[in-house]
Amino acid sequence: MTVPLEYFVIVAAALFMTGAVGFLIRRNLLVLLMSIELMLNAVNLTLVAFNRQYVGGHAGQIFTFFIIAIAAAEAAVGLAIVLAFFRLRSTVRSDDADLLRN
Amino acid sequence: MNSGLFLGLSPLLVVSLGGLLLMVAEAFSKRRVDETSDDRDAGPSSELSLGTAVTLLAGAVFAAAIWFVGPEKLEGASSVAPWVIVDRFTLFFSFVLCLGGALAALLAGGYLPEHRLDRGEFYPLIIFSTVGAMILASAGDLLSLFLGLETMSLGVYAMVGFRRASLRSTEAAVKYFLLGSFAAALLLYGGALLYGATGHTDLAGIREAIANMQPGKGSNFALVITAAVLIIVGLAFKVSAVPFHMWTPDAYEGAPTPTTTYMAVAVKCAAFATMLRVLIGAFGEGGLESWAAGWPPVVALLAVLTMTVANLVAGQQESVKRMLAYSSIAHAGYVLVGVVATMRAGGDAQGSVMFYLLTYTVSTVGAFGALILMGSRGAEAVSYEDLAGVGKRHPAAGFAFSLFLLSLAGVPPTAGFFGKLYIVKASIGAGLYPLAIILLLNSVISAYYYLRVMVYMYMREPAPGAPIAKPMRSGYVATALVVAGVLVLVLGLWPTTSLQIAVEAALATR
Repeated sequence: MTVPLEYFVIVAAALFMTGAVGFLIRRNLLVLLMSIELMLNAVNLTLVAFNRQYVGGHAGQIFTFFIIAIAAAEAAVGLAIVLAFFRLRSTVRSDDADLLRN
Repeated sequence: MNSGLFLGLSPLLVVSLGGLLLMVAEAFSKRRVDETSDDRDAGPSSELSLGTAVTLLAGAVFAAAIWFVGPEKLEGASSVAPWVIVDRFTLFFSFVLCLGGALAALLAGGYLPEHRLDRGEFYPLIIFSTVGAMILASAGDLLSLFLGLETMSLGVYAMVGFRRASLRSTEAAVKYFLLGSFAAALLLYGGALLYGATGHTDLAGIREAIANMQPGKGSNFALVITAAVLIIVGLAFKVSAVPFHMWTPDAYEGAPTPTTTYMAVAVKCAAFATMLRVLIGAFGEGGLESWAAGWPPVVALLAVLTMTVANLVAGQQESVKRMLAYSSIAHAGYVLVGVVATMRAGGDAQGSVMFYLLTYTVSTVGAFGALILMGSRGAEAVSYEDLAGVGKRHPAAGFAFSLFLLSLAGVPPTAGFFGKLYIVKASIGAGLYPLAIILLLNSVISAYYYLRVMVYMYMREPAPGAPIAKPMRSGYVATALVVAGVLVLVLGLWPTTSLQIAVEAALATR
């Protein structure tokens, strides 16, 4: 028995929504970083799932490798920026990033 | 070996190789900056800045050379398509991006030593971001599009937070990073859904698959619509269109000014290049391009909101740098009008968009460069009051700033005037009269805050005891301003040749 394609796509969509909603409502910078990772992983799952439908090529799976690599680089830069912020402000709450405003 | 391929990719290769060499040179240079030192020449900046500018200009020269040879004559250059497409569109944007990057590097060569930020890693970051931007402009596949986007963005995130000891700079980096990666994730999810619906990741294949679908029917078409929405939102974040612009003023204000220049110029141009490629290359058929059920009304709404909101808010700013940030959002709105016109009026309209981006690049580099020139260590020019009377005390700096502001406002005979004129012409040619009228009204509003700077520079005196901005002395900044100023005047006095080039470049994508 194989699991139908729709199941994977729906799980991935739910993951993506979790990440997106988490990004919009949470106030901790580290949680925001994690939400972004969750969204990227949802994209990976979507790509790999759809790849089953298009057996001829492996574009979806290859795409996923690139996303994993880029996500790691992005996390490195993101954590460095959050660390720099924490050193100056001693907090990782996004509400405290309030120096620049209209 | 395939020489046509190497020649076709030479702008990318030259710039990447130069970046690697500069990185090695920086690592072996003995000069390290001491934050407390008052010696401006202690850091490694001057040589690296020049090296960066030369490298990027070499990229621009190679792009121009291939333009004259004719990219279609290069055999083998198409073997990397669709990941990297070597056509006139790519070459045009490579030239503009390299030019903007080189001028920003020259500005950094003056700014960083003056403000004791003189660490050499800024220059490789600028170069590799430009490489990413060039890949983004040449990408004909969602995979290389994403790679280019991230290569560009990761470098710029670091450049925004370059002043690590400053909370403003770090906060700007936090905001830009979070919203930038959120936008990238939306864009990617849209790409994944497009792949699911069409089975292709290359833009041409996606276009063909969409054209073969029954419009408005089937689950695949629903996926395509969802994907299109996600991709348009992601791109709108990148070009900072209202209501996805929240990060822009903060990031532009907090970042070191050369970074702001780079973001306003290169990042925005590359984002528009990819927007043109995606909207016309992938979503150009199958009902998605129609006025009734496609992207043009959405982009038109974004354009109206972007122009109007940005101009109204820009007038209320007290900081000149923040005003320029809002002004760059407003200019994104003008370009979006041209993007809408492109769907109906074709190559001429797209040429006007690309010509506008060129004029916007030289004017914006100049305006931020003049702002850099106005300040020195501990006396940076930020608010309108800082600029009071500068025009009388330092006529050359005041004249330069005025020239670029007039170009941004669109006053003849500067480049900005013809940029706006051609966009208006294109939108009238496409029958988009309301958009053209809103654009004209908005450029009248924008004249208010541009002229306000000049009023402060020439007609006000600083209040007694108020801190006044002292212009810095830097050959690099002066050179960048002269180059930008000459280009503003040349494009303003003889616009037709470069417009023809832009139209020719636009036709390559159709």
